[in-house]
Amino acid sequence: MGYPHKPHPKETPVLSQYFGDPEARTYAGWVKRGGYEALKKALGMTPAQVVDVVKESGLRGRGGAGFPTGMKWSFMPKEKTKPHYLCCNADESEPGTFKDREIMRWTPHAVLEGCAIAMHAIQAEVGYIYIRGEFTEPLRVMQAALDEAYQEGMLGPNACGTGRRLDMHLHRGAGAYICGEETALMNSIEGKRGNPRIRPPFPAQVGVFGKPTTVNNVETIVAAVQVLNRGAAWYKGLSLGNPKSTGTKLFSVCGHVARPGNYEVTMGFPLKDVIYDMAGLRPGRTLKAVQPGGSSVPIINREEAEAALLDYEGCVAQNTMLGSGGLIVYDDTADMVYQIMRLARFYAHESCAQCTQCREGTGWTVRILERILAGKGEMKDLDLLLDLSEQMTGKTICVLSDSCAAPVVSGIKRFRNEFEAYITGARQPAPTLA
Amino acid sequence: MKATGTYQPVFTGARRQRLDETVARYPTRTAALLPALWLVQEANGWISDQAMTEVAEVLGLTPAYVKGVVTFYTMYHQHPVGRHFVQVCTTTPCNLCGAEGVVEAFLKHTGCGELGATSADGRFTVIEVECLGACGFATPVLIDEDFIEGVTADKVRDILAGYP
Amino acid sequence: MADQPQITLTIEGVRVSVPRGTMILEAAKQAGVLIPHYCYHPGLPVAGVCRMCLVHVEGLPKLQIACATPVAENQVVSVFHPQAAEARKGVLEFLLINHPLDCPICDQAGECELQDYVFREGRATTRYTPDYPKRFNPVEDFGPDVLYVANRCILCTRCVRFMEHAAAEPILNVSERGDRAFIGVHPERRLDHAWSGNVVDLCPVGSLLSKDFLHKARAWELDKTASVCTGCSQGCNVGVETRQSTVVRLRPRPNPEVNAYFMCDHGRLSYRWMNRGDRIEAPLVRRDGALVATDWDEALRQAAELLGGAGGDVVVLASPGASTEALFLARRAAGDRFRGAFRVTRVAGEHPLPGVPRLALREERAPNVKGALTLGYTESFDRAVASLRNAAVVIVLNESLDDMPDAALAGVQHLIYVGTTLPERARGARVVLPVTIVAEEDGTFVNRDGRVQRYLPARAAPGMARPAWWALGELVAELSRGEPPATAAEAFAGLAREVPAFGGLSYEALGFRGAPLAGGVPAGATA
Repeated sequence: MGYPHKPHPKETPVLSQYFGDPEARTYAGWVKRGGYEALKKALGMTPAQVVDVVKESGLRGRGGAGFPTGMKWSFMPKEKTKPHYLCCNADESEPGTFKDREIMRWTPHAVLEGCAIAMHAIQAEVGYIYIRGEFTEPLRVMQAALDEAYQEGMLGPNACGTGRRLDMHLHRGAGAYICGEETALMNSIEGKRGNPRIRPPFPAQVGVFGKPTTVNNVETIVAAVQVLNRGAAWYKGLSLGNPKSTGTKLFSVCGHVARPGNYEVTMGFPLKDVIYDMAGLRPGRTLKAVQPGGSSVPIINREEAEAALLDYEGCVAQNTMLGSGGLIVYDDTADMVYQIMRLARFYAHESCAQCTQCREGTGWTVRILERILAGKGEMKDLDLLLDLSEQMTGKTICVLSDSCAAPVVSGIKRFRNEFEAYITGARQPAPTLA
Repeated sequence: MKATGTYQPVFTGARRQRLDETVARYPTRTAALLPALWLVQEANGWISDQAMTEVAEVLGLTPAYVKGVVTFYTMYHQHPVGRHFVQVCTTTPCNLCGAEGVVEAFLKHTGCGELGATSADGRFTVIEVECLGACGFATPVLIDEDFIEGVTADKVRDILAGYP
Repeated sequence: MADQPQITLTIEGVRVSVPRGTMILEAAKQAGVLIPHYCYHPGLPVAGVCRMCLVHVEGLPKLQIACATPVAENQVVSVFHPQAAEARKGVLEFLLINHPLDCPICDQAGECELQDYVFREGRATTRYTPDYPKRFNPVEDFGPDVLYVANRCILCTRCVRFMEHAAAEPILNVSERGDRAFIGVHPERRLDHAWSGNVVDLCPVGSLLSKDFLHKARAWELDKTASVCTGCSQGCNVGVETRQSTVVRLRPRPNPEVNAYFMCDHGRLSYRWMNRGDRIEAPLVRRDGALVATDWDEALRQAAELLGGAGGDVVVLASPGASTEALFLARRAAGDRFRGAFRVTRVAGEHPLPGVPRLALREERAPNVKGALTLGYTESFDRAVASLRNAAVVIVLNESLDDMPDAALAGVQHLIYVGTTLPERARGARVVLPVTIVAEEDGTFVNRDGRVQRYLPARAAPGMARPAWWALGELVAELSRGEPPATAAEAFAGLAREVPAFGGLSYEALGFRGAPLAGGVPAGATA
């Protein structure tokens, strides 16, 4: 559903079919729509069986990494010798992405049900749902749903009457994009600064509180509910492009579009159809650039965007990545240099400060871009930006640094003329806010 | 705890009880730090050095440790702010949709003049924030605990009227 | 780790074999390769944040941080691979964009790891030009001896990790985020901790500085000599740093058996006494009611005469800061009628460093209490003083004679004072022998755990002062009780032959990390 718009005929509304439906938020409403059947089914299976179903479905992490979910769950120790934990990543902070917010505020019980299924699969008794601090409505809605789920016995010491303990708690973040990185998220739950951890050890061995942990994105979690409900074969069958990318994905379309919103399509769906048919450009405008997976993926131009299929492999084939599915659209009025500067400012603000390249490099990148925009740049600044970006890629604990580099490198490559216009003075300096 | 000036402890009575319930959700007391800091900010509007000391004592941490955490997370205020705290997203997706114009409108209509400053009547503080996760509803604005979608410059004055 | 399987790998073309679980950075030391690094320190938990130790591992597409990558069988590591060198050059460049060019006024110059690696692998010129501002944070006075120059900080977090893990008191934090980050304290608790000075040693650059040492000397002017701290009985290994003949600084020397990499603030800052100017310049003997300077031969002859004619107890009042060799030879000089006593200042309350087992600032504030006890001295100073008028000869070895009844020494006719400065109470001495302090001689101390440790001379002796072991050794020879030892090593060898607890030990065996005494604690000693 292209919420807040009516669903487009070409959408495949699975996760989003109840967006905008207030009754779906309540326990009774959710049950009426088939809620908690998947959980009951899962609780009647062994954890290993649940893992196999999810593996078979081909479901991959929807937070941005695209790691096969069933395989991730299978990394947890089979023999439980200490507490296992689930962390649901609802920190959604990747610019351009706004799908988890919708999932939480319209189908909170789906999130709880999905977490419970995951907890059963990984033999966890306690799960934390880490919701970013700014999501005041999802926090309220999720808490109300959690209270209901406990009251109705879906969660608690005797979940669904099976004798299995499933306890869930909400944990409110406090303003840090980096806490969406799974090891930083775990540190944040532990009451620490949200610093990503070096790996190894990996979360499945040493996670939150030092115990085996799995971290899953909200969208992945609710997709698991559907997989249990309708079967792995059904989910696997939803694939228009590469068979390794299955199911549906919510694409948060935003920026220069007429009808921004979340559009749910089958994996492998053509990107151009989402932009031109569903969200639509603003009247009289033409497409200049797209980031299909949030601000951290390479920017692609119109040709690449029109050729891209929306699955993991299809985006890589067009020199970008599927990422979180935060689909940012830039039309011909967009000032690419300015927006790339603004993105660099984002990363500089959010850097945790551990790694030298990220801490200093993001700030330096901002300063160079600001100078170019102020009309004081030089041609060698572009080579410098590319060189700094190279040093910021593949050398740090987490990929925030790489994420700053990606739009810079791809932007200079494709829109060098816009940078040069500022440098030569062909374009007047742009005033920047603050 | 050394009483300095007129600092009133936060974790007494009902709030202490809420903290204790929160602590019970985690296997360590340290894990209750972020929730505890939210409780302090709910009570006092900001988190002072003395409040950090109180939290440290209650959770068995050092004040320096607590301060390190407070200064990491940008939603915790380290100094008093206006009665109403306005956060406007200006990251690229919203930037493409006129977010900076929205910021300027807020600065003008609140009388704050510049980002981070509190208006002379103490009513508002306006800041620019990074992506609020509602890019399809540009421009989202968080005022206190109210998440307002689809703000445009022309709507700002009416929105502000709702925050005396 | 004899039971750990060995892993063989190649680092910079050198094959090394190390226990499984060793990190590449440590394994590289065996290959004779120092992998550049900042945040890593063998005494602290691994952080992996500076990214300086990136190395190339064959077969892996990305560079790996050597401090946190365990060795693997047949791994081939290239530290100076072009990709790795380029990455390290990048890290250095990033560090320098906000780091002020303070070298001319920065204490760390000459022993700065940023300088060192930039010279080896950094860029020759800056690209952070022409008008980019550098981050500015004000200098902060963290506490008793530590200054934090925030602008120079490279955020390696060694100081934070030291306080958190080694000292178990997180007084330092990282404040703020991104390139606004700095090391912070909470106003209610300054860096007032018994072991805080170590953060200054740990800081790779001139960000954390010792106020005591501020602007006092340049690193390249200093000579460093292995020694042992005299602040308490823990026996931390230290380096005495001198600029010509002035001791300007003490810093810890690593010893895994005693102090790991650290020393406490009390010991660290107790060095000014070593520079006292009121030293006894020459041997003195009593002539016509006054003490007059003479030569060593004359002084030793007179002292031997006193001792030779002694028809009663020879009481030795010794300081537990005297060397083991001196204590032994004083006992021999006293002969069969030896009665040795010492007193030690005790300050209540130990100050452990929790992260290191058996390490603390101890209550006994002297380095050789155990040495004195093992050699038959007892902690019965007051009783000995009370009986002085009955003694035939009194030898005072390094004792300050403070806080004693004036009358105690008044009647003593045959006082031989062996010391560094001459107190009022010793002015009635018959013979005064000027001796060297710990920084001017070879010697050993035995720490509270029974570890015998050598120290070396850091500077020349003033005036005619000689080591106490030499003076007493000559005295013993004059009394025909043996050949005088020609070196401290010989003196120690003599002691090892005679005292069972020291059996089997020699200077060679002690090396620079020391060795334990044989057998248990001698009878009559305090715990």
